[in-house]
Amino acid sequence: MTDPSTIERHSYDVLVVGAGGAGLRAAIAAHDAGAKVAIICKSLLGKAHTVMAEGGAAAAMGNVYSEDNWRVHFRDTMRGGKMLNHWRMAQLHAQEAPDRIHELEDWGALFDRTPDGLISQRDFGGHRYARLAHVGDRTGLELIRTLQQRAVALGIDVYMECTVTKLFQEGGRITGAFGYWRESGRFIVFEAPTVVLATGGIGKSYKVTSNSWEYTGDGHALALEAGASLVNMEFVQFHPTGMVWPPSVKGILVTESVRGDGGVLRNSEGRRFMFDYIPEFFKSETADNEAEADRWYDDKTNNRRPPELLPRDEVARAINAEVKAGRGSPHGGVFLDIASRRSAEYIQRRLPSMYHQFKELADVDITAEPMEVGPTCHYVMGGVAVDPDTEESTVTGLYAAGEVAGGMHGANRLGGNSLSDLLVFGRRAGIAAAAAATAAPSERVSISDDDVTAAADAALAPFERQGGENPYSVQQDLQDIMHRLVGIIRRADEMQQALSELEQLKERSAQLSVEGHRQYNPGWHLALDLHNMLRVSECIAKAALERTESRGGHTRDDYPATEDDWGTVNLHCVLDDDAVSVRRETLPEMPDELRELFEEK
Amino acid sequence: MTLTTEAPGATPAEAPSAIPSFQVTMRLRRFNPESDTEPRWENHTLTMHGTDRVLDALHKIKWEIDGSLTFRRSCAHGICGSDAMRINGRNRLACKTLLKDLPLKKPITVEPIKGLAVQKDLVVDMEPFYAAYKSIMPFLITTGNDPSRERRQSPADRERFDDTTKCILCAACTTSCPVYWSDGQYFGPQAIVGAHRFIFDSRDEGAEQRLEILNDREGVWRCRTTFNCTDACPRGIEVTKAIQEVKQALLFRRV
Repeated sequence: MTDPSTIERHSYDVLVVGAGGAGLRAAIAAHDAGAKVAIICKSLLGKAHTVMAEGGAAAAMGNVYSEDNWRVHFRDTMRGGKMLNHWRMAQLHAQEAPDRIHELEDWGALFDRTPDGLISQRDFGGHRYARLAHVGDRTGLELIRTLQQRAVALGIDVYMECTVTKLFQEGGRITGAFGYWRESGRFIVFEAPTVVLATGGIGKSYKVTSNSWEYTGDGHALALEAGASLVNMEFVQFHPTGMVWPPSVKGILVTESVRGDGGVLRNSEGRRFMFDYIPEFFKSETADNEAEADRWYDDKTNNRRPPELLPRDEVARAINAEVKAGRGSPHGGVFLDIASRRSAEYIQRRLPSMYHQFKELADVDITAEPMEVGPTCHYVMGGVAVDPDTEESTVTGLYAAGEVAGGMHGANRLGGNSLSDLLVFGRRAGIAAAAAATAAPSERVSISDDDVTAAADAALAPFERQGGENPYSVQQDLQDIMHRLVGIIRRADEMQQALSELEQLKERSAQLSVEGHRQYNPGWHLALDLHNMLRVSECIAKAALERTESRGGHTRDDYPATEDDWGTVNLHCVLDDDAVSVRRETLPEMPDELRELFEEK
Repeated sequence: MTLTTEAPGATPAEAPSAIPSFQVTMRLRRFNPESDTEPRWENHTLTMHGTDRVLDALHKIKWEIDGSLTFRRSCAHGICGSDAMRINGRNRLACKTLLKDLPLKKPITVEPIKGLAVQKDLVVDMEPFYAAYKSIMPFLITTGNDPSRERRQSPADRERFDDTTKCILCAACTTSCPVYWSDGQYFGPQAIVGAHRFIFDSRDEGAEQRLEILNDREGVWRCRTTFNCTDACPRGIEVTKAIQEVKQALLFRRV
């Protein structure tokens, strides 16, 4: 039993959980709106997953192609998402992304520049024009650093290496959160009428992933347990190009910029196989021969895009099919070749991190030899269902922004749309939460000792048990199940198998025990994270089983076609008596003036 | 304590058949504040493969032998800067140090980075490091109106401070500095790198303020140019050169 009166308590207007791009941007916005705000983060400030983003942030600034504007970006985003995106989120994102990039620049972010000194923009899959603001291939690092520096400049409170395990509610409204300091293991209670979840994704539930250790679906699970719904959870993005060798670094990302800057995919026969995988939906905008594809890099007006730059789901499926057909590379991937197409100087200047990554970890010189690449779990399109304008979930006072939120990317996210998503919706969530929190200060409810005690007891449960299993073995089994049975290609019987194996894992995880004490105990931390990973995995498997078609990041071997009927349906996961249930909701209808954008050509 | 662990059956898809395996002894500096009064050494002998990194060996120990082994890591490929540690006496990132590049005949020593208080095992208190980072005002300082769209910056001006923008705040440089070890007040190399990033940014107007901070008794003049920091930087930043450029700027008050 923990005595609740001894627990550290703090009071804020807005509590932001997560310090990646979305969390930092939300905190800055809430602070600027006059709210008292705190950021809580699981790792040290500046280490969040955003730091790993390489390619850039998509924004129709028109610095390189003046023809570009928000309507083109909106259209690309919706088509990339197979029209399952919430149109209003896609619209706001496309409209506001340029302002968010300019604002970052104003705060000191470094960008690669055009000869005229404007922010340069690079090509990426699914984007009609060169649109990604970037700095080499370390855009995420610069983005998070700039936001971190801004937060330092504003003096925002940051609770580092602190993990939230429960949200408090009273009468259907958020009243605060419960967490623990990783270092001391001591508990901490935050009283706050609004909480912004910005906890990122779920990739650590998969065996081969580009995601870092923080990605255990914490925000997804917290929201679900608070009564919010998760939308589009069946859509998990496998990035087509992760490292496949050596085994120690399998899954680490190879940026899409390699293809944007001229790299092509080849199979073991040396063939540019992507020409064999151009879907009907993208035929009119994709080059069908090498000559046209190669001309496109210099003349986008008169040539169509190379098929290597189709949206990620298309490319990942094609690679999967080539490997399955026996035309893969020696280590089970395909070849990504930029060495034969660009000069060594160009490659080192444009892709310095990739050059070093392969040189140091795989002993491969990418300026001289092709890379071996294959799909890796990269991003979850699904997340907390939110109001597009405020990012508030169905739970009053609970907001979500960034990867933990759902709707924006539909069935598949375009590269470059994640960094701009963080900025656009992080800011909106911060503004809305600050307004809600400061509007009714008298309505604050204090958190009861009983609630605090219950949260503390739940967190300490793994210490109470003796002789149970070690959490690492359960995590490995979970990753294996999700990879094997709910991976890139899915079948009903396999997903049913996955669900029954997940039930067994739930039972095993309820019996976990951890050794040692509360001070910096990684086994204990994982035991608590596992709870979230299991919840999220159940959502993915159940939604994926329900959607009997293939679309975007969800490919069914037993239902290979994309069905029009499913094109207007979103699946929502909610918690029902401690089990996940899935319900169908009709996609909100797009206004006519936006619909017309899809009728050209 | 010496434990020997064999690799459990690797899955067929990942069977590193062509990769040579070898025995390696990891000699870890461990400290548990709840039970130890002093740090202690602990050896683990493992079977590892030619492509494995120090981080893989640490994970193997944590996942299969002792779940309480504590160290920081996030991205695991050298971008986030969480896993700086002292490996065979040199500051490196565990995720970028291949075992095969180390002398395997002798135990590989892994210790926490020096100069910051150890909290547990390989985890140190980063607070003084962050305090130094914050003290040089690591944000763009400008006067006048905000630009309506963006500030222009020529590719040449942008290139001028490219090197110091690569910093990942891993603390490898600061905790390799002998002056920092003996003088807890010294800002340390990272803070000066952080200041350099803004002092030489053509858009920034806060150079005077930053230079004044670094002109302090515990500022740049404490640097003894030992180049430890440059050797330690996993990003290849020429740290000592950056410090020299800041010294020059102070001497001539010209950026």
